[in-house]
Amino acid sequence: MESNVTKGTTADVPSRTADAIVVGAGIIGCATAYYLAKKGTSVIVLDACDVIGNGGSTRNGGGVRQSGRDPRELPLAMYAVKNMWPHLSDELGADVEYCQGGNLRLGKTERHIKILEGLRDKAVAQGLDMRMITGDEVRQINPYLSDEVIGASWCPTDGHANPLKATYAYYMAARRLGVRFYTGMPVTELRKVHGRVRKVVCPEATFEADSVIVCAGYASRKILASVGIDVPMSNVLIEALVTEMEPQMFPQMLGTADADFYGHQTKHGSFVFGGDSGLEDVNKDNGHDANSSITAPAICRGILRYIPKLANAKIVRTWGGYEDVCIDGVPVLGPVDEVPGLVVGCAFTGHGFGISPIVGTLLAEVARGEKTTLDLSAFRYDRFHARA
Amino acid sequence: MKDINDRTRDLGPFEPKPGDDMVVCRCEEVTQGQIRQAVHDGLFTVAEVRRYLRCGMGLCQGQTCARLVKGIMARELGVSPDELEPASSRAPMRPIEMSVFAKEGGRDGE
Amino acid sequence: MKRYDLIVVGAGPAGMSAAIEAAKHGVHVVVFDENARPGGQLFKQIHKFFGSKEHRAKIRGFVIGQELLDEAAKLGVTVELDSTVIGLYQDKEVVVKQGEQVNHYKGDAIVVATGAAENMVTFEGWTLPGVIGAGAAQTMMNLHGVRPGNRVLMLGTGNVGLVVSYQLKQAGCDVVALVDAAPHVGGYGVHAAKVARTGVPFYLSHTIKRAEGTDHVTGVTIAQVDSHFQFVPGTEKHFDVDTICVAVGLSPMSQLFKMDGCKVVDDRRKGGQVPVVDDLGQTSIPGIFAAGDVSGIEEASSAMIEGRIAGLAAASYLGFATDDEERAGVDANERALDGLRQGMFAPKNRGKKVEKTEEGIPVSQTLLERGYVADSEIERFPGVTHRVGIHPVIECTQNIPCNPCQDVCPKHCIKVGSHITALPQLEPDANCIGCGLCVASCPGQAIFLVDEKSEPGFAEVTLPYEFLPLPQKGDRGQALGRDGKPVCEAEVVGVKRTKAFDHTAIVTVKVPEDMSMRARFFKAAPATETD
Repeated sequence: MESNVTKGTTADVPSRTADAIVVGAGIIGCATAYYLAKKGTSVIVLDACDVIGNGGSTRNGGGVRQSGRDPRELPLAMYAVKNMWPHLSDELGADVEYCQGGNLRLGKTERHIKILEGLRDKAVAQGLDMRMITGDEVRQINPYLSDEVIGASWCPTDGHANPLKATYAYYMAARRLGVRFYTGMPVTELRKVHGRVRKVVCPEATFEADSVIVCAGYASRKILASVGIDVPMSNVLIEALVTEMEPQMFPQMLGTADADFYGHQTKHGSFVFGGDSGLEDVNKDNGHDANSSITAPAICRGILRYIPKLANAKIVRTWGGYEDVCIDGVPVLGPVDEVPGLVVGCAFTGHGFGISPIVGTLLAEVARGEKTTLDLSAFRYDRFHARA
Repeated sequence: MKDINDRTRDLGPFEPKPGDDMVVCRCEEVTQGQIRQAVHDGLFTVAEVRRYLRCGMGLCQGQTCARLVKGIMARELGVSPDELEPASSRAPMRPIEMSVFAKEGGRDGE
Repeated sequence: MKRYDLIVVGAGPAGMSAAIEAAKHGVHVVVFDENARPGGQLFKQIHKFFGSKEHRAKIRGFVIGQELLDEAAKLGVTVELDSTVIGLYQDKEVVVKQGEQVNHYKGDAIVVATGAAENMVTFEGWTLPGVIGAGAAQTMMNLHGVRPGNRVLMLGTGNVGLVVSYQLKQAGCDVVALVDAAPHVGGYGVHAAKVARTGVPFYLSHTIKRAEGTDHVTGVTIAQVDSHFQFVPGTEKHFDVDTICVAVGLSPMSQLFKMDGCKVVDDRRKGGQVPVVDDLGQTSIPGIFAAGDVSGIEEASSAMIEGRIAGLAAASYLGFATDDEERAGVDANERALDGLRQGMFAPKNRGKKVEKTEEGIPVSQTLLERGYVADSEIERFPGVTHRVGIHPVIECTQNIPCNPCQDVCPKHCIKVGSHITALPQLEPDANCIGCGLCVASCPGQAIFLVDEKSEPGFAEVTLPYEFLPLPQKGDRGQALGRDGKPVCEAEVVGVKRTKAFDHTAIVTVKVPEDMSMRARFFKAAPATETD
């Protein structure tokens, strides 16, 4: 994210060393900092932007879902849904609006049903309760859905939460535990000292720590390059919209087999939907996270084909945000062997929010040299190879 | 470093003030006290407070309260309002029904 | 996608002026406006504008609005109404809600003239129905013919607060007080004076403590504030009102620039967030221009000039006007703009307390603190002189860019001079014929005709009158002083309305001789009941 013009500059950076430095104050960085601090590790968090959580963390659709996940990622999602999300508001002392309303992934054609069955088969193989249901069963769960829906996959343990609340809840909880956050502090370079990563260089100050956790979204790529590490990912602008407050209609997270939209109704009553125009791969932007003129209408058409009742719901805001899309669709998580002390958590490919509590836990464990709760080997930074 | 970027700043204990129960954002019914509390909890930018409390995120998108919220935050932070970057502006400039937004002239041979 | 040479967003004074100027050079222009009527705020402006001829001074705002529409129509400008621009996107694309759909348009150039929105202040009860913006009150009265309330308190003494208070009185509302937290009246003294003389008290260094009522406003309590804007205990005053009008400034509606990525700055002197523009109104994105309040809060008169400059610059950008044409046009307009930006209320003086006029005369403190020039102060101003026979008394005491009085007098009795902000004075050899054109034309209603001894023991004072019902010859009542308090009995001896007066009647009252320099308003005696 862009950094703003520097003005009102008065303070010097009060402290520059810690046990661990987290680069990136999105939900992953904030959660990692929180779990580190909870275990007594002293932490500094640096973010290039003035605003905490200004990337995908506060711009996503809020899905807390296991269904539809890549088999490598599914164990993380299942762990978070089973063990973390239900208690997260209590843990952080702020309502993150977690709602375990289930996930309906909707289909209108036989081709859609085939796609959904494929997703179900993979999920069931790993023990997730996910089943196919008929159109009528769909409308028993959610009477607002169009008669054109002929079937859906149904995962009753999925749901949604409020990503804005969750991001700032992690931030505020970490801050209460003494984590030092500095914003407007872009990291230009990591430097090794005696073979270990140690220095984190910013234009205004250089920070030092025993371990450095980089979770700065797409910006991680350039930062990691300073110690010779690359994560093959791209930066993709996607868009979302929100309606005015509506009476409570349904608690499920919705998606479609064609992925033309996804979203849910928030605790507040507004509907948050994301989606695409189909032209995202070649979208151009003029240097800021601007919406395109064609995407929101496309999302609206997608929604109304499934939930015609929302025709008169008023959209009050649209926004865009960047996804750090990994070449193989799952994030890079864990230690970087070649650079002792360095931990990576990036390339979440648009589905980092739902797994953020467990990812924060795991990255904190890695940084502290502990045995991790879940196996991270599928997410190694060095898993990418050219075709044979 | 800008004052608002040092999130280690301790603004001291939150003390209730007269007017804390006064609604500042009418669309989303956010009070002065909630805004002050959020600043004390470490939300030092307008964008953060808006996202956390929803003030300025309702029907009028902050047309009425943006300046008021900024003023309250600036006082709480002890900085000039000029140091607080206003929130970003996003389409639609006026609320628009989903069915209207979905229908683009020229798409159906119009 | 439908493409125009130039898309103008907003059909107010700035947008229409830009469209007209561009169309004059052959530019194919469309103007989008979200309202059902074009003209922006102009059609709410029923008062006469300040300035000189080139600024269309002494013409009422809504008439100017109609002139702009007629001119645009003649030039073939398309004005699309009920057309809400919902976004300005990359590549100068505008998405417009029209009817039950959105339409995409591209412009080779864009002028954004979206104007401003009213600011609000918070106080206990500010969300009660009955607390409204002054602009909203003006819309209700002047566009829809609806009285916003019966008893009204106005917060804010800038020009909007003053003008709307006057209009509320015209609409038959009882304006109980004008209140401002600042220690001095913010708007033109002449606007304040014409309200004060009708009997509306001014409370400077006061603000609203609370609005009272359960489901709507039934009263209001104000209190004095100290220099740190903290309430002074024990200074509360209560008024029974059903409406509280808030006129605490305007904020530019600059969101379109921001969403498109034009550079914007927060500039308090300009009223808030404004696009960064060059002297032609061009933003950081070439071909996108800003004009009017959206680029800094000023007056409709300056908005029209800024619009003309932006329209001309767009025409030049699009190759319809030569560089020379552009330069010449811009220079002329900048001179006109410069003329408006002179005097005590010039943007450069905003927030400053001006102690003396350009002529070196101490400014009336009573005017700043209570809204009227005290009897003891008025004589020091050059327009106030004593003559034998009928003559104008010009109670214009602040340097503002305005000179219709000089132009309108058929006998050339009044002189402002080439410096438009100079205080007007009576020529030494003035030969006043008592026609009243100066009285009716002064946008500040600050000119009176006085015959200090019309007959033994009596004087006659001719004053501007814009209220209904009009007094009739022979009516008796009270003359009110500049402070709005009764000073003596008065009898109407003449009422004159002509086309040249443009709806301002002039009323001549007969008062005791010693009241000729004090009586400045006429209040009819309440109608007595007859059997």
